[in-house]
Amino acid sequence: MSTAVDDDLWSAIGDPVRRTMIDLLLAGGPGTATSLSERLPVTRQAVSKHLAVLDRVGLVHSAPAGRERHYQVDQAQLARAVAQLSAVGTAWDARLRRIKRIAEAIERDRNNDQGE
Amino acid sequence: MEHGSIERDIHVDASPEVVFEVVSRPEHIREWWSDDARFEPVAGAPGELMWCDAETGETMTAALAVVEVDPPKRFSFRWCFTGADRSGPALLVTFDLAPAGAGTRIRMTETGFREMGWEIAALEEQYRDHESGWDHYIPALGAYVARPVLTA
Repeated sequence: MSTAVDDDLWSAIGDPVRRTMIDLLLAGGPGTATSLSERLPVTRQAVSKHLAVLDRVGLVHSAPAGRERHYQVDQAQLARAVAQLSAVGTAWDARLRRIKRIAEAIERDRNNDQGE
Repeated sequence: MEHGSIERDIHVDASPEVVFEVVSRPEHIREWWSDDARFEPVAGAPGELMWCDAETGETMTAALAVVEVDPPKRFSFRWCFTGADRSGPALLVTFDLAPAGAGTRIRMTETGFREMGWEIAALEEQYRDHESGWDHYIPALGAYVARPVLTA
């Protein structure tokens, strides 16, 4: 049932700037707030705030690098997020198969009743 | 492609009237979805879906609100509200029923993921672009998938 999906994780990933940041980090390897801000239409301060949100939900990890921090994507956490969402679709497939089975059983019962 | 929704079609060998009962009545929803369901199938009516964890005995309740009841054509409701007392963005589930041959075609759509920040397809596409990472982490995923993130 999908309320079990981690809401904080999804609001973290729901922001388009943060998704672009994840994409940049996946494609280009670890980055800093400065290196990311050079490739995004937002300030370094804004990038830092977004990185903090991603860090809080475990989508990125950081390590000190001189005066800055190097951030990289936690691919296991990202994979977990993707798995949760494909599970939403799979869950509906299962529910619809049960709806079909129940409705067809009711229909057969009614037809049998009428035939007797 | 709409990134913020899930769509499913299924054919059922039963009349739209029967299918409508199954998708819209709490006594049937208990059979195909939650452990318990309580609501009046009336537009605007509040309700609850409930799940019991057999191991811990804990009950989880999800609020829902009936949106449209138009037998035997359409039943829709909102759930997964982000705010208290059925407020804020929520997912909208719609069952559209159409006669098909001797049976019924159900089209189920669940929308609102975008508003809630759940961009399924965008994420999946992103992931396909990084297949090496995906392959690499499939083994790590096992532990997560084994967790009952979603019960059907």
